[in-house]
Amino acid sequence: MKKDSKTSGLKIPKNYFNDFEAQLFARIEAEKFPKSTGFSVPEDYFSKFDDTITLKERVKVISLFPKKYTAHAAAIAAILIVGAMFFSTSQQTASLDSIQISLIEKYIDEGNLNMDLFDLTTYLEPEDFTNIDIGSRYFTETTLENYLLENTDEELLLDD
Amino acid sequence: MDVTEEQELIMALQSETDKEAAFRELVSQYKERLYWQIRNMVLDHEDADDVLQNTFIKVFRNINSFKGESKLHTWMYRIAANESITFLNQKAKRNNVSIDNMKDDAVRKLESDVYFEGDQVQLQFQKAIATLPERQRLIFTMKYFGDHTFEELSAILETSVGGLKSSYHIAVKKITQFIKSQNETIH
Repeated sequence: MKKDSKTSGLKIPKNYFNDFEAQLFARIEAEKFPKSTGFSVPEDYFSKFDDTITLKERVKVISLFPKKYTAHAAAIAAILIVGAMFFSTSQQTASLDSIQISLIEKYIDEGNLNMDLFDLTTYLEPEDFTNIDIGSRYFTETTLENYLLENTDEELLLDD
Repeated sequence: MDVTEEQELIMALQSETDKEAAFRELVSQYKERLYWQIRNMVLDHEDADDVLQNTFIKVFRNINSFKGESKLHTWMYRIAANESITFLNQKAKRNNVSIDNMKDDAVRKLESDVYFEGDQVQLQFQKAIATLPERQRLIFTMKYFGDHTFEELSAILETSVGGLKSSYHIAVKKITQFIKSQNETIH
């Protein structure tokens, strides 16, 4: 630690002057940045701005729903919601079996199932994979080969 | 640095191509001297660091308008002196305290400052210096710690040698009286 030549008692942190240069030159670099943002405003914008605000203050906003009716509307809405809930519980609840397979497929095809392949596989047991009937109905061997060549990460296969 | 060397450095500082390299050279030569001048005024190391950076940034920005009417280092010492006083005034304003209260506070903080290793005599000396008005404190610290001659100080602070001498002697007298009164209170 370097001290002042006379007895002031003040001292400095170790390596301060080296660190100082690094910080200073970072600021010097910033000096070269453009001084202006490049944004501009329409002519007389700020002088007219006050007038615009004053004008807006003068125009009284009339509410579509006066406050005195709000309480009534809220009460009616609450009754309707409670009623709907009451009647809906008496109906039979839908199960997965009651939904048509085509509807589920459509749901998945449209991208509504927010899951990727890795998520899906966590729901499957090893025997589920063997039970899947791939067959030759959907794709030929050549198609399968082409798919694997185009979509498989070779490095990943080699690593494993 | 002799006159020719200084002229060459100024030319390099004012040229587009050599400006940065010359500025690095300037920083390397003057950072320590300017730091201590500033530190003796603001006392706190972090504050001194801020003011030193501001000083060099100001030099960098204004070097093209430097006419050479004074020496380069004289000009830099003057910027550092002005920056120190401006910083102290702004800090007092920001904290909503008078400059005297802020100085008292800065000296009190020295007692627990890790970057102050002075003994009781040095602490008392700092307390005494803190009682001086800003300009007098600047003259005293630059003369006493910075070892500037009155002629150099006259060029830096743009004040007559006579005026500086009288300010310095008044400062010495005030410091002596302060230390004497403190010692009398203790004994």
